[in-house]
Amino acid sequence: MFDSRISRRNFLQQTGIWAAAAAAGTFPSFARAAREKELNIYCWEGYNSDDVLDPFRREFAATVRAEGLTSDPDAVNRLRAGETKVWDLINVNNPWAREMMYPEGLIKPISRERFEPYFAKMMPQFSPPYRWAMDKGGKDLLGMVQRFGPFSFVVNTDKISRATAEDQGFKLFLDPAMKGKYGILTYDNWNIYHMSVAADVHPFKKHTKEEIAKFGKTARQIFNGAKNLTDDLVQMNLALINGEIDAYFTGGTYTASPARLDGATKVRGITPKTGPMDGKGGIVWIELTSVVNNPDPSPLAEEFLAYVQRPDVSKKVAFAEGTYNPVTQMGNADVLNQFSAEELDAIQWDTLEEEMANSVDYDINPDYSEMYDLYSAAKREREG
Amino acid sequence: MNWIRQPGVVAALPAAIFLFVGFAGPLLMVFGYSFMPEKTFTLKQLPTVENYVSVVTDSYYISFTWSVFLAALTVLLLFPICYPIAYGMAKLFGKWAKLVTALIAIPLLISENIRLFGWVLILLKNGIFDGTMQSLFDVSVSGLLYTVPAIVLGLVYVYLPFMLFPLVIGISMIPDVVKEAAADLGANRWQVFREVELPLAMPGIMIGCILSFILVLGSLAESKILGGQAIVMIADDIESAFTFAQNWPKGSVLSVLLIALSGFIVFTLFRRIDLDQVIGRR
Repeated sequence: MFDSRISRRNFLQQTGIWAAAAAAGTFPSFARAAREKELNIYCWEGYNSDDVLDPFRREFAATVRAEGLTSDPDAVNRLRAGETKVWDLINVNNPWAREMMYPEGLIKPISRERFEPYFAKMMPQFSPPYRWAMDKGGKDLLGMVQRFGPFSFVVNTDKISRATAEDQGFKLFLDPAMKGKYGILTYDNWNIYHMSVAADVHPFKKHTKEEIAKFGKTARQIFNGAKNLTDDLVQMNLALINGEIDAYFTGGTYTASPARLDGATKVRGITPKTGPMDGKGGIVWIELTSVVNNPDPSPLAEEFLAYVQRPDVSKKVAFAEGTYNPVTQMGNADVLNQFSAEELDAIQWDTLEEEMANSVDYDINPDYSEMYDLYSAAKREREG
Repeated sequence: MNWIRQPGVVAALPAAIFLFVGFAGPLLMVFGYSFMPEKTFTLKQLPTVENYVSVVTDSYYISFTWSVFLAALTVLLLFPICYPIAYGMAKLFGKWAKLVTALIAIPLLISENIRLFGWVLILLKNGIFDGTMQSLFDVSVSGLLYTVPAIVLGLVYVYLPFMLFPLVIGISMIPDVVKEAAADLGANRWQVFREVELPLAMPGIMIGCILSFILVLGSLAESKILGGQAIVMIADDIESAFTFAQNWPKGSVLSVLLIALSGFIVFTLFRRIDLDQVIGRR
């Protein structure tokens, strides 16, 4: 017979049994119920701002946890290290989903039927099927695109005019007159691509030994001529505004926009007019937000992907804290009309189309590891 | 098997398990990864020493040398700065010692990066220091930031408490009567300092030096924020290997070598200190 009297001893026993049963997962319905209102997002800063998340939390009565990431490879490492159990959405730059995360089983496809119509409303460059959102076979949709931006280098236009910078491209940093007058923003992967471009080598193709050697020589020259190195864009903008440097290597709308919105419009992202990438000299990144292959998935993951497509939320994502960036949804007038003239100027909207036309998409470099060794040696052995 | 039933062993078990899982476990994983082939993300490959060979033949010695040099230099600068303050706190300041302790300890509650950014604003061209010098003396002192001296300044500033507080403990262990006896026996001030104070404070000095040396050896923020990576320290190389290079095995080799270097230094020096004496259990 069940003894309804609770003594201290049987209270502890009962508690122990219930706790053990819950831990062993004998109540799957409880566990599922717990995740139905929970969403964990691992993203570049912006998606984790309360401006973006709070309305979602209220509408879906959800507990949303979001953590900002500081580098794509770092984020992918964390999924590889077992954090697929933690996150529901991951937001990284375009090549990672299709080239690494999907083949490694870290993310899973989303419904084409539900999400492809959103691509049709984006700027024309992103119309479906959009290459970076699809798997290599072109069958599965791997995520949604939103923020993007040209990314090459940044100058102080009071010191170097936009026209000169665009004409010279990355050769600007090889000019002996620029020695000690520029910084390097150490986003290492981007530096490698841009140093390739400076060496007249296409970064996203298989390279010959001569090309790799040429890259190594250029990397050394650029490092040896740099005044300072930092991985902090605020510090780099400050150095540019204060006149410590005239330009910085690796940067674009993403890094220049916070300074520009603060009124320092002389800080300008530059896209070279020409270069070795099928005649183009600039590179553009596109963020892709994908659903993580979580063994205990949250149904809110896809809801969030749909939520950030709304015009008001798209604007919030573009101008969330930290950095400001164009969004693919600006192809829709309802979204575009929400931006003020200052905001459009901060993200260099006036030249965006031209800069996109002069850029290729960020991609995987097949010789990255070999180039990375040369790059890191050049950085260590820098003569300054 | 009676030892298992000893209360001491039973009581130590939770801490031992926690230490193994949380401390020894990750270290063993890093050690294991250091023998995996390049660019692998599992421990299931055939072990190889190729990473050790490539690290030794590459120019990583530069980063190691910078880290060891800056660690040694920081300790050499911190000791003479901290010793008089510690002496005052232990012997002279009386009730004011608590205030001094609080003033030095309070900045520890603020993130290291934020404190270093404070220095960036001071040292920046047209920043607080440069601007003040320009307006008062019409002299420009730009170019302080992004240099090795700026890194050293940051290291001395950040790691000062880690040298100071062990020194306070060390100096407070010196009984005043011993110094008086030495003086009565004809020792001059220098002799009292060298032959009585220093040896008696040595355990605190050693701990302060080891602590600050090891912390600087693994430091990263000062060279990044104040140094503008004027030099690359070994912790920076380790971070890059794990992230941008996507080469966990190489990062693991660098970590293992750094741990071995730190361990060698600590064990060599700790053999010279009686820890029981420091914590007052003689």
